[in-house]
Amino acid sequence: MSGGALGTLWRSRGGRCGLVLLALLALAAALVTLMPASDAGGAQWAGASLEHWFGTNRLGQDILARALEGMATAFRVGGLVTLGAVALGAALGALGGWRPHSLPDEVLQWVMGVLDSIPVYLFAAALAFALGGGEAAIIAAMVLSFWTSTARLVRAEVARLRGRDFVLSARAIGLPAPLILGRHLLPNTAHILLVQATLTFVAAIKTEVILSFLGIGAVHGVSWGLMLAESTQDVLAGHFGNFLAASGMLFLLLLGLNLVADALQDAFDLREASR
Amino acid sequence: MSLPRYLLQRLFHGALLLLGVTLLSFTLMVQFGPDTAFELAGKNTTEAQLEELRRSLGHDRPFLERYARWLGELARGDLGASDSNGEPVDRLIGRALPVTLALVLPGFLLGNVLGLLLGMLAAWYRQGAWDRLVLGGSVAGLSLSFLVVIIALQVLLCTPYGLDLFPTRGWRVDGIGSYLLYVTVPTLALVIVTLGYNTRFYRAVMVEELARDPVRTARAFGASGREVMFTHVLRNGAVPVLTRLLYSIPLVLVSGSLLLETYFGIPGVGKVAFDAITSGDQPVLLAVVTLTAVMFVAVQLLTDAACRLADPRYGAP
Repeated sequence: MSGGALGTLWRSRGGRCGLVLLALLALAAALVTLMPASDAGGAQWAGASLEHWFGTNRLGQDILARALEGMATAFRVGGLVTLGAVALGAALGALGGWRPHSLPDEVLQWVMGVLDSIPVYLFAAALAFALGGGEAAIIAAMVLSFWTSTARLVRAEVARLRGRDFVLSARAIGLPAPLILGRHLLPNTAHILLVQATLTFVAAIKTEVILSFLGIGAVHGVSWGLMLAESTQDVLAGHFGNFLAASGMLFLLLLGLNLVADALQDAFDLREASR
Repeated sequence: MSLPRYLLQRLFHGALLLLGVTLLSFTLMVQFGPDTAFELAGKNTTEAQLEELRRSLGHDRPFLERYARWLGELARGDLGASDSNGEPVDRLIGRALPVTLALVLPGFLLGNVLGLLLGMLAAWYRQGAWDRLVLGGSVAGLSLSFLVVIIALQVLLCTPYGLDLFPTRGWRVDGIGSYLLYVTVPTLALVIVTLGYNTRFYRAVMVEELARDPVRTARAFGASGREVMFTHVLRNGAVPVLTRLLYSIPLVLVSGSLLLETYFGIPGVGKVAFDAITSGDQPVLLAVVTLTAVMFVAVQLLTDAACRLADPRYGAP
């Protein structure tokens, strides 16, 4: 399936651009994680030069090095949130779709309705209260807010597929429900999960930036949100390095993800038209 | 299903939803949250005084009893008072809500109208140059962070590094002139950041409706583009459009205003919520979360009613 998905992506121009862009950015993030660049030691507010591509910040740190560290943070937080939200959404959505309108399904619908009614920033704030801030709180808040959209789609797809012959046959020969769900139904939702993963990644990165900027919960290391928070003071004094580096990389990463999501949706003919 | 029974069912679901939201937020903020008695007591308090304070606040009671009491106050319309300055929460929010409405309404309307028009344009010339241009632009729009748009617009429009036309922050509105002065930059930011999503959604609706038989027939009989779009396509696509429009209201009012108002220092609901977050003001935060959920329930009922009015097929089996 994943080989097929990559092939599908590669066939469209947008998907190809997105994949190459993401691969380059991931490589940069991996390199900066494996061998952290020294970001200290320069003069305050140094201009752009070959040594400091985006200049240095208030503390004389190299802005490019910090922006790359921010990329590693974005990949880490976005990856964890995506993994958690899509896995949770797939599992619970499949359970709900297996027996639509049964008691477990009604409870699931209620829980999803409740979580969808709490804006993610407020939820993150409440969880930060309960868990005492930190990266775990905002990751948990995003997972708990974002899994519902995957769950709704998987639930609908599983409910649609459960009347098909291959499922009825599997039930007729007495396969247990978990096996049918895991081996026969969930693999048939892989295209939905793939698209949801890219969309969740986008949402997680955007939300992380805003939460870090607002100071709700904190991530480990440097974050683009923190750099942008610094830059709001900088730009009024005419220093644009922080802003350009953080917002430029943020844009490239989101663009790569959106191009991939777009190509996938086109290939699988998934568009949220009449929902 | 008969209408009264249907309404009853909707109300029951709404009540269950509110119960869930309040239980979850009360558990997170009050049960696992910081001990507010400790902060209210101030410095140099003995353990005995603290106990006394907790007893007088009712904090020594079991969780369910505290929750039930808070719920009872809520049902009587009593939202409590702010921990930071003792002001009743309903007055605080009553003062902030009109500001938020005035702030986000122009951007909300403009973002949707522009999105609708661009979506129509793209759908009409599907696979053509216009379509590709609109879709390409919307992918770029989706990749912009709200925060980045706000900072960029502020630099470009409000500082000497750009055009320097508008005030950098604040909300000193006393007439239409000053209103336009303060609302323009936030409105532009809201439009830019929502336009990509709106355009793609409206395009998808239009593409689907344009492919239907009655529309094809109308076009074959020579109906003009405007006639097809506004009478056949738009009316038949009313349900998804109305649903999206109404459902985005609570999100724009709370999430949208949170960043805008915090950044520009505008005293609306988002700023009230943000201040409550930073100062740990539980009564205010609980009220904001609860009122948002109430708004969601109201929006669900409203969407139902609006869709029934707009489309007789709605709700039919």
